[in-house]
Order: sequence, then C-alpha cells, then structure tokens
Amino acid sequence: MAADETILLGAVAYDPKVVAIWEGIRDYFNDSGAPFDFVLFSNYERQVTALLAGHVDIAWNTPLAHVRVQHHTQGKSLSLGMRDSDQDFHSRLIVRTDSGIQGPGDLAGKTLAVGSRDSTQARILPLHFLKQAGADLDEVTLLPFDTDVGKHGDTGTSEIDVLEALRNGDAQAGTIGDLIWVLEQTAGHIDTGLIQSVWTSPGFDHCMFDALPDLDAAKIERFTMALFAMTWDNPAHRRLLELEGLKEWMPPREEGYESLRAAVEDQSYPI
Amino acid sequence: MSGAESTAAVAIDAGDLPMGGGLLALLRPALQLLEPGGVLAVNSLRDGLQDDLSVWCKVQRHEYLGHDPATGADASTTTRHLLRRGNLSIAQGHRETDMRLASQDGRLSAEQVLSAVPMPQDADATSGFAPRGAQVEPGGPRYPFDLVNRDHVAPPEVARLYDQAVESQWDANRDIAWDQLPSHDPDLERALDQVFTFLAENELSALYVPSQFVARIHPAYAEVAMFLSTQMADEARHIDVFLKRARSGGGGLGVSSATTSQSLLTLLELTDFTEAAFLLSVLGEGTFLDLLRFIEDHAPDEVTADIVRRARNDETRHVHFGQVHVRHALAHDTSLYQRLENAVRRRATAMAGAGGVPDALQDGLTILAAGSTSPPAVARGHDAFRELLDEMHRNRTKRLEHAGFTSEQAQTLSELHTPNFM
Repeated sequence: MAADETILLGAVAYDPKVVAIWEGIRDYFNDSGAPFDFVLFSNYERQVTALLAGHVDIAWNTPLAHVRVQHHTQGKSLSLGMRDSDQDFHSRLIVRTDSGIQGPGDLAGKTLAVGSRDSTQARILPLHFLKQAGADLDEVTLLPFDTDVGKHGDTGTSEIDVLEALRNGDAQAGTIGDLIWVLEQTAGHIDTGLIQSVWTSPGFDHCMFDALPDLDAAKIERFTMALFAMTWDNPAHRRLLELEGLKEWMPPREEGYESLRAAVEDQSYPI
Repeated sequence: MSGAESTAAVAIDAGDLPMGGGLLALLRPALQLLEPGGVLAVNSLRDGLQDDLSVWCKVQRHEYLGHDPATGADASTTTRHLLRRGNLSIAQGHRETDMRLASQDGRLSAEQVLSAVPMPQDADATSGFAPRGAQVEPGGPRYPFDLVNRDHVAPPEVARLYDQAVESQWDANRDIAWDQLPSHDPDLERALDQVFTFLAENELSALYVPSQFVARIHPAYAEVAMFLSTQMADEARHIDVFLKRARSGGGGLGVSSATTSQSLLTLLELTDFTEAAFLLSVLGEGTFLDLLRFIEDHAPDEVTADIVRRARNDETRHVHFGQVHVRHALAHDTSLYQRLENAVRRRATAMAGAGGVPDALQDGLTILAAGSTSPPAVARGHDAFRELLDEMHRNRTKRLEHAGFTSEQAQTLSELHTPNFM
C-alpha cells in the first residue's frame, strides 16, 4: 500500500500514557488493514493549525479545538467519531458545606475557584451556564488555576487544584467537570462532610475526531471501520479503551457543542 | 418513568449516604446480584443524587433509568432511583453461596477447602491468579503459565500431601538437641563433614529445581504449587541443618566435586515438569532415602541420627509426590514412558566420563560406616558402602517398577542413574 494511504492522526501529549494509547491503536489499525501513524503535539492550538494546513489527516480534538476547527472551516469540517464518555458531560458547582451557598444565586461576594482558561468543563462552560442560571459573575471573585494551558483541561490538574482550594478554604465554591467529581468520589478522595455539589450544568459533549472536508473517502472508511470494530470484551482492545477512558466508540453528533459555540462568542474567547 | 422500568428486582435503603461517602459499598454489591438488564432500586434521602448516579452509571456502563418519589412511610423525603445493570464486565460463572465447610475434630484441611471446586482438565489462561471457583471478569490479560493441563501437572492426592507436609514441618533451630552433640575423633568428624557438605549441595539443587516450575504452574492447580512450596521449605531447612551439623563438630565444610556439580546441572537444565519430577524426586531423592538411612544407621551419635532421620521423613514425601505425579501422568499419556527413558539416557550421556561416586563422598561414607580409621574397621566400612550401592539399585528398580516400567526397563534405567545419587 502506498505511503500516502497511511492515515496520519494528530493527538496532544497531555500525559505519558498518550504514547502507549496511540502506539497500541496504531498497531491495531495496521493489523486491521488501515495503515496508520500518529504525531503528537504539545498543545491543541498547534494541532489545529497542523490539521487546517493539511499536515495531518485527522485530529483527536477537545471540544474547544473541535469548535475552533469548525469555525475555521465555516462548519464544513468532518466529524468522525467520539467516545461514549464524551457525551453528556456536565459541569458542577462544588461548595464548602460551611459556605451557605445553595446554588448559583448565592455566589455574589464569594470566591469561586475555576480551572484553566482553556478548560471547557472547569472554566468556559460553567461560567457560561452559571451566568444563564442567574449568577452575577461581576460580584464574584474568581480564583483561576491556569495549569497546563494548551491542554484544554485534559490533564484534570486544574480541577484537582479547584478541589484543593475548596478543601483548604481558599475558595468557598469551585467549578469542575462531573467526571472528575464522580471519579474523585469513587476513589474515596472527597470528604462529603466538607464539600458537596449543589448545582449541575446542562449537558455538553467533549472530544471529537476532526478532519478537513477533502479527506480521502477511503481513508475515512478505513479509519471508521477499524475504530468502531474495537470492543470491550477483546482484552487487547480493552487495554487501549481503558487507557483512553471509554468503553465504546460512538458516531459523531454536533448538538452537544452548541453551548460551547455560544460561550466562546459570549466570552469573546479568542478562536 | 414507565411502569415496566419501575419494576425493580432488588431495592436498597441508602439513607442519606452520598456517592463519595459509602453509597457505592451498598450499590455495587447489590448490582452484582442482578443479571444484566436487571433493575436495582436505590431509596435515598440525598438531594441531587441523580446527577452523580447518572454519571457513575455512564462510566460503569449501567443505565440510569430515572427517579421518582418513593412510596411508604418516608415517602415525603425519600427518592427512588432506578438503575439497570449493564452487560459489560459480567464475571463468568456463579457466585459461590452456602459454602459451609465442616471442620473435623476442630480442623479444616487444605484438601477440604480445595476440593470444594474440582481441578479443571484444562486451565483458562485469562483467569490469572483468580482462586479456583472465583468469578472472573472478562477482559483480563493472558498469563504465561504453560503447565495448564491437569493430567500432566496435578495428581488427585496432591492437596492431601500438602496437608501432611504442613503438619510435618520442623525447626532446625529449635528441634535439634544441638547442646548434646558429642565430640568425635577428628578423622571421623572430617568424614561426617564431607557427607553433610555433599548433602547440603544436593539439597540446594533440590530447592532450585522445583522453584523453576512453580511459576509455570497455572493457579487452577494451586495445590501443586503449594505442595512444591513445602518441598522447597523442606530443602531450605535441610540445607540449614546440614550446614549446622558440618560446622558444629570441630571441623567444617569439605569438598564440592566436579561430578556432583555436573550431575546437578543436568537437573537444573530440565524444562519438562514431569521429567524433572521423575529425575529429581523418583530417582534422585528416592536414592537419597537409602543414603540417609545408611547415614542414620552408622551415625556415631543420636543428634546426627536425628538430623538425617528428620530429613529422610521429609524426602519420603517428596518421593511419594514424584511417584504419584509420574504415575498419574503415565496413566494419561503412555508416550511418556519413552520420553522419561530418553531423559534418563540423555542425562547418562551428559554424565559420561564423570566417573563413579565422587571420591570424597565415597571416602566419607566408608569411614562413617567404619566408625574409625583402623584398617579392619575400614574394610567393614568399605563392604557397607558396596552394600549401599546394591541396596540403592534394588530400591530404585522397585520404584521404577512401581511407577509402571517393566522390570527389564527398570533395571536398565536404574543402572543408567547418575553416580552422584541425585
């Protein structure tokens, strides 16, 4: 098979495990008759630029990067698939139980810890949804944790920082994604007597495989066929799926990004 | 919520437990009791629990069906959440219930507990270290165990032999009357020290050889690995007690011969479990039974006799396990006769030119049997040594016949056995 038939995918190296994930998926795709290779970027801005310039065929994008690709292709970019775990994400308002905060309307005069400025779930969307829910953000003191900027919140570090700020009293409230909130509870890391969730945002979707509209149809077919053939009950696939944090790949859907598009516009976020 | 969805097979009372405050310890076991598709009701006093439960269900691939006010005494404050169990990560087999092992005279043997679930004919490579009878989640990795067939690995009585072995453990530190060890004539002590040096060296190999197979035995046959671990503990104790004896009588360690070293290397290099059991336990340790009996019979003091008597009791178990292992394997695979014979012949070829019984050992055993260095006594010692070799050959032949070889095969194989005894 000619070299240009190789699907070249871009992913962001937000954690050392990313190498293991994509090397495993590369081997699986190659064994499945879908010639495949990948390149790693240090941040999503560089990856989106490379996709738009045609240097990679497919980019594994955060919601912010996905919205950015759609913006720069006038909505014509192709969405190829997402994780089951990417659907119906929510943000949470977590508060100290001694803060007296019962919901978004009680935030005035309080300190609100928020995640990285490019984190969809811990900063951009919760602020958007809190405003819609009646919070007067001009009266709220933000305590931002701009860690791992460029990774769009993938590392979860800023969300852990938000929880820590609540624990040690630096903030009375904070915003994080619901996945981190439930996983931290499941892991036994949350003192539910000290902090609790008082509000859940409307749902939104997370990561997406993006491609330019002129990507070779045969590549798209090989990519999606191999991707959707991965199953949890196959131990070799399961190891990769576990590492990437899903149990099943899903077809794409766009409605889950509407709120982010609106938030980016409302916040004049540089896109 | 529709009527069909609201029919829960199991309900739990979760009080006001939050997800991160203990709820999962009630919820997860309750879900485990359901078949995939079964519905669990969680009655909770906790506000907003639906948001956490729905995310948790998504992560775990269960389905969160919804919530409604419950009925009953606390209906004003209780919310009923319904969860449908997903079909991922369903452990295979049924959960054990109603296991109530009955002790006998206050004792509960390993044989009882392990026989509660029979050993499978062939082991599943993906069940890893799961104890036999545990439910195994699918999707686990394959393990590299390659001893995965009951007929080649696990004689049926192995758990009973394990129980006997555990019962018979002794302590080389505390159980030997070291303070009653008398002094001997230096020549006799030197002979004894040489014999114990030889014994310790051979027992080191008997520790290492089975250890190479333990990690290859599939845990579905855990009792085999467990028995071998007692065998290894026995050998460790023998090494300990033999070195102590050699260093307690005014002398010290003697010579390690090249013949012994060559013979033990041929054992260490074995890669087939049954061949190793045959050469090490049936032929080698079997021959050692006669050697230990000889040392006991001629021991110049009771402490020395006690040491080898205890060691011989342990070795008797090893020989017995080797015999039942080989007999069990032979009963299921008649081609094994030829393989075992070939293994003996290959070893004999590797030992060709190595000479007879190592010189230092011959001399040590002769003086030990003589009891002194006076020429008439040494003549008697030499005769006793010759009789030992005949006795070893006779008993080896019997063990081979007992394993199922013809008397002609047994004669030949016994004669081909290593001059090092082990």
